[in-house]
Amino acid sequence: MVAWIGSQTVPLPAAIEQVAKLLAKSRCPVFSIESDVHGTRSLIALAERVGATYDHVNGRNLLHEVALHTDIGGFFATATEVRRRADLVIIVGDIPAAHHDLLSSLASTAADLTSSSRRRWLRIKGKASTALGDPVRRVKAVEVGSSDFAIDAVLASLRAILAGRKASAPLANVDSFLSEMASARFPVFVFSHLNDPASLGMLQGMLADINRARRATALFLPSDDDAWGMVLASAWMTGFPPRTGFSTGSPIHDPWLCDIERMIAEGEADLHLFVSERDEARPSKRSRVPTIALVRSERPAAGALVTVRIGKAGLDHDGVVYSSRIGTLRSVAASVPSALPSISNIVGQLQHALQEEGLPS
Amino acid sequence: MIIRVAGGEVVDPVNGFPGKRDVWIKDGFIIEKPVSKRADKTYEVSGCVVMAGAIDIHSHIGGGNVNTARLLLPEQHAAHLKRPLHTPLANAGWSTFNTGCLYAQMGFTTVVEPAMSPTNALHTHMELADIPIIDKATLAILGNDDFLLSMIRDNASSAMIDDYVAWTVSTARSLGVKVINAGAAAAFKENIRSFALDDVIPSYGVTSRKIVETLQSAVGRLGIPHPLHVHANNLGIAGNAATAAETIRASQGQPIHLAHLQFYGYGTEGKRGFSSEAARLADLVNNTENVTIDVGQVMFGQTVTISSDVTRQYSGMRTASPKKSILFDGDGNGGGIVPYRYRKDYYGSLQWAVGLELFLLINDPWRVFFTTDHPNGAPFTAYPELFELLMRRDVRHAKMEELDHSALELTTLASISREYTLEEVAVMTRAAPAKLLGLDDRGHLGPGAIADIAVYRKGQDVQKMFRDAALVFKNGDLVVEDGVVTHYRWGKTMHLNPPLDKAIIKRMQAYHEDRYGLSLDWFTFSDSAICRETPFAEVACKS
Repeated sequence: MVAWIGSQTVPLPAAIEQVAKLLAKSRCPVFSIESDVHGTRSLIALAERVGATYDHVNGRNLLHEVALHTDIGGFFATATEVRRRADLVIIVGDIPAAHHDLLSSLASTAADLTSSSRRRWLRIKGKASTALGDPVRRVKAVEVGSSDFAIDAVLASLRAILAGRKASAPLANVDSFLSEMASARFPVFVFSHLNDPASLGMLQGMLADINRARRATALFLPSDDDAWGMVLASAWMTGFPPRTGFSTGSPIHDPWLCDIERMIAEGEADLHLFVSERDEARPSKRSRVPTIALVRSERPAAGALVTVRIGKAGLDHDGVVYSSRIGTLRSVAASVPSALPSISNIVGQLQHALQEEGLPS
Repeated sequence: MIIRVAGGEVVDPVNGFPGKRDVWIKDGFIIEKPVSKRADKTYEVSGCVVMAGAIDIHSHIGGGNVNTARLLLPEQHAAHLKRPLHTPLANAGWSTFNTGCLYAQMGFTTVVEPAMSPTNALHTHMELADIPIIDKATLAILGNDDFLLSMIRDNASSAMIDDYVAWTVSTARSLGVKVINAGAAAAFKENIRSFALDDVIPSYGVTSRKIVETLQSAVGRLGIPHPLHVHANNLGIAGNAATAAETIRASQGQPIHLAHLQFYGYGTEGKRGFSSEAARLADLVNNTENVTIDVGQVMFGQTVTISSDVTRQYSGMRTASPKKSILFDGDGNGGGIVPYRYRKDYYGSLQWAVGLELFLLINDPWRVFFTTDHPNGAPFTAYPELFELLMRRDVRHAKMEELDHSALELTTLASISREYTLEEVAVMTRAAPAKLLGLDDRGHLGPGAIADIAVYRKGQDVQKMFRDAALVFKNGDLVVEDGVVTHYRWGKTMHLNPPLDKAIIKRMQAYHEDRYGLSLDWFTFSDSAICRETPFAEVACKS
């Protein structure tokens, strides 16, 4: 059985009919999305149809990563090119565990597209940095920075020092940093989950300085690959990253106005469609907004008006996901094919049902 | 169902001189007048011009760099909504949805994205699949990738190179091959900041010329209909007309297509050391039959430059407007996204004039193609204005009055009286691109062609005529009426499947596992990954 209305098990068509009714009736629906690219495409198309606002389930984590691209830009490289060309890898702050395989892969290989093949490692740390993770410990990265200063201040000091200016902050291993930077042919700063605009801006400013005379770049590892896949699909479908809505009929991107958590908390939203292919994900029990849950669960989501059990791309069915290992989209085949419906399948049925329900004018 | 488009002035250079005749459609194709002479539906189009659907051979409409530009410039997309026309990118056609609609409204039914990085093919095709109405195609970029450069360095056999090119074209679902500043992206990673035709990539010992020659030969041997599509060295640099001329000479009589030639039409004369060499370049093209070009016309206003020529884009970052940009070191190819505003100053005026000189001084409309290199020279939505500049010298001369006279004095534009005829427009935007791309099924209105038809209301207002088509049919479906999209459908993406020795697949598998630690299936995909019914249509190679 794959669907529930309240706690009552129902056939899928009955659940679809109920969801369509709720969507048709809603004046300000909001969608929280966590799916592969196909699921995201179908949900954004549905959002346009019903005038909904959408964001990633963990949209708060995306904010600064998106803002780096919308407000600053910068120098970037693919992980595949970094693997083959980087003779100096500089890890900035902490790298989430999801990317440790990638770091291990970098640690176990040598650059083959540069004359300087031995790969050296530095790590820029600030006071928020945690203990070194396993892959970084294995490569014996030289730690540069200070536990007394925030990482944006450390980056600012290093930028100043690299530019030949004085910096008053005492940082560890600055000489190592300078000598490694001087001898490297293709240094790459690896960063992920840097949650402050100042750090992101300072890092890219330093790269702009370096690139005036020499080459250097950055490997941006999204804090969540699936979320970055959603950013890409959202950009091509609407011209905008998430936190976008269709309340006027045309896409409007506004990180405050289209903040779904805010819209729910302030009573703007009157219906919440929560979609996640992850096992542990559930909509908030505390939400007072009527909720529909499309989740991987064998039980109805607590408090949801309707719950539909869905499959996962790459597990139950084929899909397309963003992969930071190759820096682009990747096709993934079902590893354990099942009859559980995909998001795009459910949305297809919803689109069909909405033709009968009609939408408010 | 039989449809009759009745009483229009048909401009179809492939099938005869302009004249009034009916066009008949059945099951998505153009047919001879049926014996019964009866139609299920008739559209009266007297007073209108009837042409085949237009084809754009060089417009950056999808893929990683284009999408990164969307991310970099959300404020430009906001201008995409209904705002006054003079605001930045007011009609840029930014999202996939709008791209299809805006092209269709102008009577364009096929558009080629000319710069797809093979490693980014799945992403590109997913974007293209979300562009409604029109058919699409891509050109795969080669010329900076380690596998090819290593083969050239190691004197690999022609057969091996052909297999690699064929494998790339086939797995990336592309319609041809493009080379962008051959070797420069690889050299830039080694901190080389300028790269000319005879410069050498240090770690490979291979010149740009050798890369172009190698790819041009492979494209010819494989029977790929579209000649090698070349973005030459030294783009935008004063004196680069010599580079374009040398690239033309290097083609040695074999077919070659030079992209956005306007950006290579610059000399070093004048107080600013920046002048027009368009007349000499046009003369060279006129006298070199194997060469085709597209212009990449510059128009004034805000745009964003998107290119895999990272060397050029790095130097352009200094003049970014607004002040933000992205430079990307990818596998082989990279990308640079740099917003730019073309102003009516000396440099902007000269660039504008150079493009028009090329259009008007190259005699044969079968060898010069209508592009703005969207969005690099201007958004494709500037096409109606450009048609008017080409078709009406009074409008052209009036525009010149608004511009920098000292720049225009270094051009021949004031002395040119040519006005493009409707038939020449039909050649340049329909018949010739179809021929150049090897697409026999379009670009004309003869029986057997797919029913891609654009109907325009003939009038003095050329801009209006080409901006709001009266009717547009795509594969026989009526999709546009009075400049408004009235019916949505999905087009296809056309691609080649050139023959190759299957040993190359094993070789590529070994290469990817060894160099990236990943199976080849991380880099390839099946048609079903696009998640749309029959997203591709195969086009035959030349025998």
